Amino acid sequence: MTELGLLARFVHLSASIVVVGSTALLLLAGRSDRRTALAWESRVVALTRALVWLAIAAGGVVLAHQAATLESRTAAALEPLALARVAFETRFGQIWLARHGLLLLLGAFVMLRFDLREGVDWRAARGQTLLLAALALGVLGTAGHSAAVEPSAATAIAADVAHLLAGGIWAGALPALALLLRAASREAGADARPYAVVATRRFSRAALLLVAILLVTGVVVTVAQVGSIAALLGTGYGRLLLLKLVLVLVALAAATLGRRRLLPRLGGDAATVGRPAMRRLAASVTVETCCVLAILLVVVALGVSPPARHEQPEWPLPFRLALGALADTPDARPFVLIGSQLAVLGVVVALCSMALRSARLPLLAGGGVLVLAGLVMAVPPLATDAYPTTYERPAVPYQASSIAAGAVRYARDCATCHGPSGAGDGPAARALAPPPPDLRAHHATLHTAGDLYWWITHGRRAMPAFGHLEPNERWSLVNYLRALAAADAARRVGPVVDSARTQVAAPDFTFAVGPTPPRALRDYRGARIVLVVLYTLPASRDRLAELAARYEMLAPLGAEIIAVPTDASPDAIKSLGPAPRIFFPVVTEGAPEIVRTYGLFMAGPHAEFLVDRQGYLRALEAAPRGTERLLANIQALNDEKVVAAPPAEHVH
Amino acid sequence: MAVWKVVVLLDLALALGVGGGYLWWGRQADRLGRELAEARAAAAGPREFHAEGVIRAVLPEIGVVVITHDEIAGYMPAMTMGFRATSPKIYDAVEVGDTVRFTLGGVPPNLALTSIEKLGRR
Repeated sequence: MTELGLLARFVHLSASIVVVGSTALLLLAGRSDRRTALAWESRVVALTRALVWLAIAAGGVVLAHQAATLESRTAAALEPLALARVAFETRFGQIWLARHGLLLLLGAFVMLRFDLREGVDWRAARGQTLLLAALALGVLGTAGHSAAVEPSAATAIAADVAHLLAGGIWAGALPALALLLRAASREAGADARPYAVVATRRFSRAALLLVAILLVTGVVVTVAQVGSIAALLGTGYGRLLLLKLVLVLVALAAATLGRRRLLPRLGGDAATVGRPAMRRLAASVTVETCCVLAILLVVVALGVSPPARHEQPEWPLPFRLALGALADTPDARPFVLIGSQLAVLGVVVALCSMALRSARLPLLAGGGVLVLAGLVMAVPPLATDAYPTTYERPAVPYQASSIAAGAVRYARDCATCHGPSGAGDGPAARALAPPPPDLRAHHATLHTAGDLYWWITHGRRAMPAFGHLEPNERWSLVNYLRALAAADAARRVGPVVDSARTQVAAPDFTFAVGPTPPRALRDYRGARIVLVVLYTLPASRDRLAELAARYEMLAPLGAEIIAVPTDASPDAIKSLGPAPRIFFPVVTEGAPEIVRTYGLFMAGPHAEFLVDRQGYLRALEAAPRGTERLLANIQALNDEKVVAAPPAEHVH
Repeated sequence: MAVWKVVVLLDLALALGVGGGYLWWGRQADRLGRELAEARAAAAGPREFHAEGVIRAVLPEIGVVVITHDEIAGYMPAMTMGFRATSPKIYDAVEVGDTVRFTLGGVPPNLALTSIEKLGRR
């Protein structure tokens, strides 16, 4: 069933593309009154006519397949009601209707027999065919994955449409071009040889531009749908894309060879040079056509697989390259530096060789050797161990409930060796060789969350495997380790906001006040600065009164206060009593996790954390007095111009 | 008729069809907007809203109760807000920290608390 859907989509796409491309080639080549050229033209027009109706028929199968898939029963493919539901009520269906409306119009148009003896009539008829076919093809770009790209779907759709049209004209013209070259390379087709030469030259010039558009828009679409090397290498979508790239390179190599070697010889002496060159060019274009068909098959497969961005990448290599790997080996840094410079130099030399006519080969070889030498020097020190899960996104977001759960699990299973604070000083650590590492140090920069997850799952050196824990529990441990590292980094965050200091992401948390629906810290992102206050009664009462008195001033400054009782009492508001009048949120649900998590950053009966609009922890203080510093901090955050991107929802 | 004239006419018809269709849909949107506005206007008049919340302060000197409340369906999202009470009797029995169910009455936006009912611990 899936194969049928894929096949129908493939036929539909190929037919649509060939209609666009061969009509474009007719227009590019212009008219000719040579017998062979006329015969070729009428063959191409007949082909177009047949392909339009084939595309419409295959489109019908695609719609039926979509109906069966959406209703998850095969019978729906043949029910008019189900088909109508898909066509009118889904975005796919509405775009399908628009496309097939255009295709039917095109089908009717190409069925009409016109008198095309006038040049203007000929151009009008061919131009109209191209216009309708290109419109129908371009609309396809709004139905694909690009329409789902956030936040700039318009750019992605524009790139996708341009990619489709440029690809349609270039790839779709190839079969017609092969037909023309074959016809003109026969002895009987000698009358059309000058026409074929002109057509090929014009197409070749246009193809340069089209391939450039294809490459640029292809990169834009890839960035939007894949986004990272890990996703390119580690997901089915990414690997299909790589396969497509290889096929494109083969097609381009054949095209370049044809352009370089055969094109200049086409006009030569018919029997010895011109006709054999034309035959070989026809063969080369046929090879390109086969590549294009394979590419279209891959394109169809890409269209029905989930984009790499939404998949969990499974890293295929046992190593990866990371600058963080140099943190441990300062001796290797000069090698990496010199190696990278050598490689750049090599690329420059190779580029120069393209511009020069003399000494091209030696220069190219020299450049290649330089690049190779540079890579051999620079790459090995950057390599660091990697695992299939290295780039996996944590299944659990970096937030207080997960961190608190991880802390409980850590205390039970990990602290014996790694120590209660992650310093590697647990009671059992002395017996181990090598000793357990300090988890707080640069574990955060050198290793990804997926690395930690792999080690927890499979063990490492003296460490046993904890694969028997639920995946969520393992991710919670990873989140807890990240919080430990963040707490270590937060020691450099003082009571005063300083833009130059490292930014530590404030763990997200959810909370509720009384019967109100739960809210999250991240709800304030982009809107409010938040002061998270961990308080203990009665010692904190004076401070809360101070904040309450200033609360009316904080709202216009764009700040909110969230008070969290350290005793996590559900009666927190009642315990505060009627005086002072406190109107900011006092957490009655979710407090234990917040206290546990933020206690890692600063322990004690009272602590205040200032979180900026992007969600970074910018100031923290144990027992502040007065509100001048708080107001100054808020003012400093309001005055900040350079805004960091908000931290990701998950650790990396 | 020459083919190019046929093509021009065809394209004009196509453009008119698409443009007309777009305009027709635009009209629909306008009409729906108008209907919505009429429905809103019809809804004016005395209304009553119910919601749950927690008492944050009672200010007898100005007859106001501050409540951190749930979403008030059709009126306002969840927030902390002071509400005028129609009579002091309404807030006699509640104190700060009580979880309550309350009723707002009047013609929006001039709403006032008409009753507060204490809820048990949830």
